[in-house]
Amino acid sequence: MKKSLPRQGCVKAARNVQGAVHKMIQLKKVHKTFPNTAVPAVDEVSFKIEKGNICVFVGPSGCGKTTILRMINRLVEPTGGSIYIDGENIMDVDGDQLRRRIGYVIQQIGLLPHRTIEQNIGLVPRLLKWPEDRINKRVKELMEIVGLDPQETAWKYPYQLSGGQMQRAGVARALAVDPPIMLMDEPFGAVDPIVRGRLQDEFLRLQQEVKKTICFVTHDINEALKMGDYIVVLNAGKLVQKGTPMEMLSDPANDFVKDLIGDDRGVKLLDLTRAESLLQATTSKTAKTVRECSCYIDALQPVKMALEVMMKHNSDMVGIRRGDQVIGTLSWTEIKQHINKISGDQ
Amino acid sequence: MMNFEIDRFVEAMFDRSPPYILEHVQLVLIPLGQTIPPLAVIAVFFPFLGLGYRPALIALTIYALLPIARNTLAGLSGVSPEVKEAARGMGMTEWQILKQVEIPLSLPVVMSGIKTSAVLTAGTAALAALVGGKGMGAVIFAGINFFRMELILAGTLYIAIIALAIDRLLSFVEGRLTPSYMK
Repeated sequence: MKKSLPRQGCVKAARNVQGAVHKMIQLKKVHKTFPNTAVPAVDEVSFKIEKGNICVFVGPSGCGKTTILRMINRLVEPTGGSIYIDGENIMDVDGDQLRRRIGYVIQQIGLLPHRTIEQNIGLVPRLLKWPEDRINKRVKELMEIVGLDPQETAWKYPYQLSGGQMQRAGVARALAVDPPIMLMDEPFGAVDPIVRGRLQDEFLRLQQEVKKTICFVTHDINEALKMGDYIVVLNAGKLVQKGTPMEMLSDPANDFVKDLIGDDRGVKLLDLTRAESLLQATTSKTAKTVRECSCYIDALQPVKMALEVMMKHNSDMVGIRRGDQVIGTLSWTEIKQHINKISGDQ
Repeated sequence: MMNFEIDRFVEAMFDRSPPYILEHVQLVLIPLGQTIPPLAVIAVFFPFLGLGYRPALIALTIYALLPIARNTLAGLSGVSPEVKEAARGMGMTEWQILKQVEIPLSLPVVMSGIKTSAVLTAGTAALAALVGGKGMGAVIFAGINFFRMELILAGTLYIAIIALAIDRLLSFVEGRLTPSYMK
């Protein structure tokens, strides 16, 4: 089903080419030291998040990623520096009012156990005193968006749902009043890897429609590379590196980032590179070699898929198609050269 | 009813204060209060409030508050921090969190405190007769004084029936207040 869709590598590229974008969230030298601790939890962190992008904060436990997230909606107040949303300093806004404008999905989902799914999703609209019929309509709509059957689940309590369904309800609740910004703290952490993968894919597809500005916290580098348009790597409260997943993989700032990414940096890179972009170097292929291919992939698919297909067909060359047209080939040697070129020292 | 109102006030007050006050109340004051026998409670109040129905009522009310307060505190501190945090993250005010999240979630525990207290007080109330509070206690004490077994039995049985009735009634209310996910 998802095979026909362009994969995330190109999805991201498409999202980034939106012409004039402006900064939605900006952190300037943000600092947080919790009472009775000597070491700051967040130490002079500055970065910007552009409108409509997913920015992932990644790092080990206790690196300050969740604290940064919670400072953006003022669940935690910074002890230094300032945070701007759309140019407005968040300290000038009432905390409760601010939080109603920002979608928030938390680690343990945090659905209210004594409220039905319907009531949970309609929580923020009710706080904002929407008329009841508008709330009902919106809740129904949201349940369909996140893939919950309104007839089946609306009246159920959270304990009656599966982990995946609860996560969906959590996302629906955060989307309820259509906030331009969403904060997500390990939103897919509580489900098994298979469901997680599916939720990630669905969420990326949903994001293409809703185009929210999203701060996403995870400790899983693979999730960060998959979900992020932009990644902020943190360690012990300090910002280690910021950049796109591609930059992260091709030019890790230091050994910490290298370790975080893991030894399979080259392969991960191939997952973010479209076959198309590698092809440019190989346009001199003759029609003869193209005909020799026993297998093909779409130009928009990641290079990793080319390897997959090659292995499956026991071939060292794969044809690249755009639509019905074969536009070139990729060989094992070419891919290897590409990895060496980009990741340099590997 | 009076107890419930007082309790709501105490509940609201303590929950907004630094946690150590709450802890002290929970760990020191309440157990201390409960080690005093009911007879002593009535005796302690007797010099200040004198004899009769009203002093007995006041003494019993204070004594009855203790289990309710204990369960209320236990109920409130038993509400999971994640749920409270989520409610705050949604933009609920402190007051809305208390009213819409903490109280509803702790209600079953609070209710069981009210039940314990009501049953306990139904028995203790017999002692009110000692300070002129009348009631079934008067019948029992009359029976003791005149060695009339039937009076003692009648009074005791009557109190037992009332206590059982209260227990059944409040258990029913408790059941209604407990949401299905907790059963």
